[in-house]
Amino acid sequence: MGAHISVPMYRRTISHRYRLTGMKCAGCQGVNFPPKAVCSHCLCGTEFEDVPLSGRGLVYSYTVIAGGGAPPEFSGEARCRGSYTVVLVELEEGPRIVSQLANPPENGIWIGMPVRAVFRKIYEEEKVIRYGFKFTPL
Amino acid sequence: MMGKGIVSCGYYIPYLRIRREEYMAALGGCAADMEEKAVLDIDEDVITMAVEAARNAAENVDKGRIGALVLASTNFPYQEKYLAGTLVEALGLSGGLLTSHHSGSALAGAEAFLAAMGLLDQTDQEYALAVISDAPSSRSPEGLEHGFGAAACAFVLAGGDAALSFEGVSAQSGEFMGLRFRPPADGIVRDIGVPAYSSMSYIDTVAGAVSGVLEKLGRSPGHYRHLIMPQADLRADQALAKKLGFSEEQLREGTVFRMVGDAGCCTPFLGLCKTLEGTGGDEKTLVCTYGAGSGSIAMSFRSGAPLPAGRTTFSSQLGNKKNISYIQYLKLKKIL
Repeated sequence: MGAHISVPMYRRTISHRYRLTGMKCAGCQGVNFPPKAVCSHCLCGTEFEDVPLSGRGLVYSYTVIAGGGAPPEFSGEARCRGSYTVVLVELEEGPRIVSQLANPPENGIWIGMPVRAVFRKIYEEEKVIRYGFKFTPL
Repeated sequence: MMGKGIVSCGYYIPYLRIRREEYMAALGGCAADMEEKAVLDIDEDVITMAVEAARNAAENVDKGRIGALVLASTNFPYQEKYLAGTLVEALGLSGGLLTSHHSGSALAGAEAFLAAMGLLDQTDQEYALAVISDAPSSRSPEGLEHGFGAAACAFVLAGGDAALSFEGVSAQSGEFMGLRFRPPADGIVRDIGVPAYSSMSYIDTVAGAVSGVLEKLGRSPGHYRHLIMPQADLRADQALAKKLGFSEEQLREGTVFRMVGDAGCCTPFLGLCKTLEGTGGDEKTLVCTYGAGSGSIAMSFRSGAPLPAGRTTFSSQLGNKKNISYIQYLKLKKIL
């Protein structure tokens, strides 16, 4: 069962997906990513300012998804590679975000590995390419 | 068109490579004179490469001052869709900039570059961004496909003092049907496969453009530090360069085919990026492009102020790679 996201809904989050635009809470100055209705730091701020994130961070955790475990939107990629890596990255600005890891190093992935965001095809549905970010080793 | 040039450049070479030996082992031969070539991963296309190259080029530039964006490729992911919008969003550019798309032949890169120079006159902003990204593709495992690679490069253009000032251009066009063409909705790049005819088209067209620009600027081959050829066929490039009076030394620095493959309309401009890293003092560069069918554009540049250092160097991008097997390559192309 895949996580279908309609094209209009995807479109609404383009600045976050294409160029990692974060939201800075006007109250506590905490940086939120992905967007939140209420600040995840002070738990009360609802006013935000867009801030560009560097795209640099460290691997906080990771897992490898075997081909059979891939949701339908990633099944083609999983079939081609055999498996793919998903990382939890702690960005320089603080937020922790989940993403795929492009070009995983042949000598293995480690906690604390420096990574940076890259622009990639995430999946294709109804012949519409969904672009977004993945991370790659620095 | 004068008084403009390149103030910054960036490029992107995919991480995955396939070596010539893989073709030899799988098919018993390789028609391309390469050591290895860069190939797209399954989650890459010319747009993802374009974004990475453009980010690299525009790293030290105020993006709010970019007033024009041109995009070139022979292999866009959609046959119909406005694609500059993807780059506008990914790069955080103004939605009000002027845009232009170029495709249809390997000449698209040169056409895009010239269009960016022209659009610079029509915008109030300081910069134009030319992005040339290509990954020619054919489902047929024969001939031309062996050399097909992938890469992207991007140039920030501006008026006034530039790292590489544009000096002049000349073009040559004529009808040569049957050479490197792809019918609508056909996944195979075709060619009638008559080397003498192909060679005649190439020599007549490129020589015409090169002679034209040399004559226009009152130059001879000896005035140039670098000659960058189209690089779809290295032997043809070398033979023509020699015939025109250029030396192997002038060709050496801008030749990228052996390491990257034939990146379509991007290849000569990737060669230009490579030479820019080593450019110093008053040096001149001649860039020749060729689109089968056939047309050629030759452009002359003169180096000036040093280029700002990019995020990566050409050699570091070339060195960051993973070699794949021919079987894996076919899986990436969705043939297996």
